[in-house]
Amino acid sequence: MGYFLFFLLAALTVGAVLGMIISKNQAYNAIFLILAFACMGGLFALLEAPFIAVVQIIIYAGAIMVLFIFVVMMINVRSGIPAEKKKWTIYLSLVIAVVLIIELILSIKGAFTLPVSTAIIKAGPTDLGRLLFTKYLYHFEITSILIIAALVGAIVLVKKKEKE
Amino acid sequence: MNSFFALSPLLIIVFASLLVLLLDVFLKKENKNYLAYISLIFLVICGFICIKFWDKNYSYFNGNLILDNLSLFFIFILALATGFVILLSMKYISFQDVNYGEFYALLLLALSGVAIMLSSSDLLIIFLGLEVLSICSYALAGLKRTDEKSSEAAIKYFLLGSFATAFLVYGLALLYGSSHSTNISSIINFFVTESDLSIMALIGLGLVIIGFGFKIAVVPFHMWTPDVYQGAPTPITAFFSVVPKAVGFIVFLRIFTPYWKNALNTQAIFWILWVICVLTMVVGNLVALRQTNLKRILAYSSIAHAGYLLIAILARDNSSLVFYLTVYLFMNIGAFAAVIALSRKGKEYLELEDYAGIGFKYPWIGVTFSIFLLSLAGFPPTGGFLAKFYVFSTAVRQDLLPLVIIGVLASLISVFYYLRIIVYMYMKEPAREIEIAIENPALFLVLFFCLYGVLQLGLYPRNILVLINQAISSFF
Repeated sequence: MGYFLFFLLAALTVGAVLGMIISKNQAYNAIFLILAFACMGGLFALLEAPFIAVVQIIIYAGAIMVLFIFVVMMINVRSGIPAEKKKWTIYLSLVIAVVLIIELILSIKGAFTLPVSTAIIKAGPTDLGRLLFTKYLYHFEITSILIIAALVGAIVLVKKKEKE
Repeated sequence: MNSFFALSPLLIIVFASLLVLLLDVFLKKENKNYLAYISLIFLVICGFICIKFWDKNYSYFNGNLILDNLSLFFIFILALATGFVILLSMKYISFQDVNYGEFYALLLLALSGVAIMLSSSDLLIIFLGLEVLSICSYALAGLKRTDEKSSEAAIKYFLLGSFATAFLVYGLALLYGSSHSTNISSIINFFVTESDLSIMALIGLGLVIIGFGFKIAVVPFHMWTPDVYQGAPTPITAFFSVVPKAVGFIVFLRIFTPYWKNALNTQAIFWILWVICVLTMVVGNLVALRQTNLKRILAYSSIAHAGYLLIAILARDNSSLVFYLTVYLFMNIGAFAAVIALSRKGKEYLELEDYAGIGFKYPWIGVTFSIFLLSLAGFPPTGGFLAKFYVFSTAVRQDLLPLVIIGVLASLISVFYYLRIIVYMYMKEPAREIEIAIENPALFLVLFFCLYGVLQLGLYPRNILVLINQAISSFF
């Protein structure tokens, strides 16, 4: 059952991301992305990390995607890349795709031979919080510097110009 | 030694940037220079702490934060570089319409990211530090908001930088998947014990190289460099050309020193780096020949220098790498200082033709700029010569002769475009009058310091080499 669910969700994720790249309509792109995020949430749940799964769905599929869709509605860009320019990129991406498929097949072959890990990883909110404030305290604190940097950078780039 | 003090350089830098942000609200536009003075004072304190902590080996957070001599040396050096950049910007930002207090705050936050990256051997923390540095860099590149080129630089840097980050994170995930650790030494241990080489880990390491390759601007990951360097405000360009490059190479040093020494099979990664190194030297120097914009010339020259630095990585010689980075800091910031000197309110002179006759009209700028260019080209008695000499000679000793021959030929090519600027300054009749604001004491201070650094490192490098050797030996 676990295997079946994993491959179903994984295939759905990859399919959704593919759909997002192929589809030309921005609104569809956004909706495909929601599907991909939701499936990834399911993958996290399979890994016995319910908290991260829920957070993934609430934050990415919920909040961030709403922002995306708002931006898409407001900006309304239609034009893509002209067709004649695309030709060599198609060939290039074909080559990369073949390499990726080979890699994927190899890794799937490897996955069946690997012993399934029996250790149960606990990743509920309590465990996550404990880890954040013990083992990953420094990482956690650095992230706050990162957020300040992002905030200051974003504000300074968009704020109103002062009058001379 | 486990001690809370290990946090102090980082805390001081972050505190300084928050203080600058706070005071910015209360200061009038014409008093923004005070923010620069405050930043400089805190940078001096940070440098003082680095000197005080030498040989103490403080660590904190279970060894996630280690202040060994290597990190102290580079925090000091890069705080110095940031100080230079702040001095260079004091006049510049009011001249060129980027007069925001956040300018200094973002610079200091970027430096805090640098300090985070330098003082850890955990790849996850290094990644977080890199993000702090990068996000500040994206904003800094776009600070000239009325200028199209600057916005273009910010967007390009942001998109390609995020792309590079994606590579880096994917590489980290693969490395973590194979070695179950984000710590560099445990990851390298995995390469030692694994008898049949795991492809997953190798791809992971390759992706990490790509991610950092973007930041240190090696070919073929250099596409963003000329545009970003050209569009960003010039002091920020000086910052970009020195600081991210130095940090990237230190991370490489921390990864590859144990990797070369211990890993079972280093051939694949060695040859990938070899090819990147040759491409970087050749492409960087050849494309620079055709540029006429000073900032673009210096951009391609910085790409070429990344190639010479990669030789030091391949030759497994850490002290020549660190020495090269130190010299590179002085000569490159010096060269940018001379470029910044040629500006006045609302106008910058960046085309090669503007430099015709500068050598006689502004003798100080002409002479110092010539010395920095000669140092970048690698002429004795400047630091640039010794740095190249050390790198190439150790590479010969490590049997990397083909690499050295390509490197020497490439730096011969580079002589042409460096000397061309000097020829313009001294032997061409000025085609158009240029007028610059000569009164800029902070800038001349930087010119003087960089000149001193380049000559001191070229004529009498003994003291600094002793320090560098102490720094390197502490890291093993």
